[in-house]
Amino acid sequence: MHYFRKRGWELGDGAATPEAVFRTRRQLVKALAAGPVLAAAPVLLTACDGKESSNAANGATASAADPSAHLYPVMRNLRYRVDGPLTEERHATTYNNFYEYGTSKYISQDAQQLRIRPWTVKIEGAVEKPFEIGIDDLLKKMPLEERVYRFRCVEAWGMTVPWSGFALKALVDLAKPLSKAKYVRMETFGDSSLAPGLRQPFFPWPYVEGLSMAEATNELSFIATGLYGKPIPKQNGAPLRLVAPWKYGFKNVKSIVRISFDEERPKTFWEKMGPAEYGFWANVNPEVAHPRWSQAHENVLGENRRAPTVIYNGYGEYVAGLYKGMENESLFK
Amino acid sequence: MVPWRDRAGRLSWLRMAVLAALAAPAAWVAWKYANGMLGARPANAAVREVGLWMIRFLFIALAVTPLREGLGWTRLLDVRRMIGVAAFVYGFAHITLYAAQESWKLGFVAAEIVRRIYLTIGFVGLVGLMVLAVTSTDGWQRRLRANWGRLHRTVYAIAILAVVHFFIQSKAQVSEPIFMMGLLVWLLAVRAWPRRARLGGVALALLGAGAAVLTALGEAGWYAFRLGVSPLMVLEANFRAQGFRPAWGVLIAAGIVLVLALVNTGWRRFRAARAAA
Repeated sequence: MHYFRKRGWELGDGAATPEAVFRTRRQLVKALAAGPVLAAAPVLLTACDGKESSNAANGATASAADPSAHLYPVMRNLRYRVDGPLTEERHATTYNNFYEYGTSKYISQDAQQLRIRPWTVKIEGAVEKPFEIGIDDLLKKMPLEERVYRFRCVEAWGMTVPWSGFALKALVDLAKPLSKAKYVRMETFGDSSLAPGLRQPFFPWPYVEGLSMAEATNELSFIATGLYGKPIPKQNGAPLRLVAPWKYGFKNVKSIVRISFDEERPKTFWEKMGPAEYGFWANVNPEVAHPRWSQAHENVLGENRRAPTVIYNGYGEYVAGLYKGMENESLFK
Repeated sequence: MVPWRDRAGRLSWLRMAVLAALAAPAAWVAWKYANGMLGARPANAAVREVGLWMIRFLFIALAVTPLREGLGWTRLLDVRRMIGVAAFVYGFAHITLYAAQESWKLGFVAAEIVRRIYLTIGFVGLVGLMVLAVTSTDGWQRRLRANWGRLHRTVYAIAILAVVHFFIQSKAQVSEPIFMMGLLVWLLAVRAWPRRARLGGVALALLGAGAAVLTALGEAGWYAFRLGVSPLMVLEANFRAQGFRPAWGVLIAAGIVLVLALVNTGWRRFRAARAAA
């Protein structure tokens, strides 16, 4: 059961000025003032495909040498949008959890050690034919688009960011799993020459996460390869990471090197670390507290305020149905 | 009496220096806050920084006695209460900033303190420290007579509560709280050292080395118990360069004390020799 309450600042979809138009309003006004109304058309088109966010100033942008840089920005899919402001890029790219680079939130500099080319992803397990694919080949095959999603960390903070990438469903279709596959298991790199934290013996490396097949093929499940209209920065999980916006952030495994279709539910990194606190399903629910803190609210990155958390992070209409008949599972941790 | 004058009313350089050192972290955090340098969650970052300084100052206050006895720095006693009161002020700032992070919803904050055991532990410690801060004046010392000493020895229990609070809130990696536990073991061992056996700088350092070994064992034991990681692997990690290792932190602290003790003794001998000549 879920329902949506609009927060005070939320407008209906129709009422809000699209972020893109808002950001470029000065250009828009200039263009209109310049005379021919048609002169505004390129600006509007630009605004609609998300280019407006591509030149925000910040110190942790993706390297200009990224061979996929020319692919971005991509068209924004307006089916997936969030009313309310985007998180500032500098916050989303400097406040990160990436334990391979240490347990602090401020690893964005250290994460620049990650080498993201060559990068191959292994597809294996219960599939018609296991294969490996290079990231640039994969990017050519996948239908890239931009989606604005809310993101809710288990540590009670949240943000709203524009991811670029493709639906996980498209990758599942490419992999051609057999019908016996019940789960998709995803794994981060484990090469300690890419990240010194991997030499710390007390973590169960590599980072492993997973989704059920039903979750993985849900329209919301997304593989992000870009952020704010650019290739995704290393600290955010370059060159490809999962985004399942109705789950706590730790589900969204970064820098994936292996995707396997399994009959057994994978044992995830955080299930090994603290099974009492972090489970497999990890769906956002304000009413189920983490053992050590409340999940009822979240700090909004960069805004010094807290906002109420919504069940399934506000995506209940897409995903609540996935869990029918699973009431005995601990779905919310 | 103002804090920068000693009991005789003279301007005290030691007191002024200590006062400035106690205020510096607060000023630094406030400056970073004002200039947007605390990142995406400034209130949360400030809560953490101020909390860490609270524990640091508490430990420094606890270290005054061993430093005085081990190194003969008797003048330090004059600033111990000041450091202790500062620890309380930072603790108070810590909980206040937490309330700010929760948009000043004080009912929610109170409920969380009751519901979450590590918050309860931290809160009890803070209330204890408040009692010590309030009764730290000369007036209260006179009024409580012998009980004053007894009351103020609870500071060791408060230090344990503070470190346990820090330990439980850590999510996965506990290097920093384990380091603090190691330091606390050292300080408690120094306290337990028999009065009659003179506690020299070398004895201080040896106790520190012992605390470092216990720290390494404790860390390995924790990860073995909590995550089933082989204790040998964790112990072995102490001999490879990979970030901050708690046992090394304790050992380095002990080493610094040893160096200070040696310099101190050398200086005294030198002065005595000059006086004799």
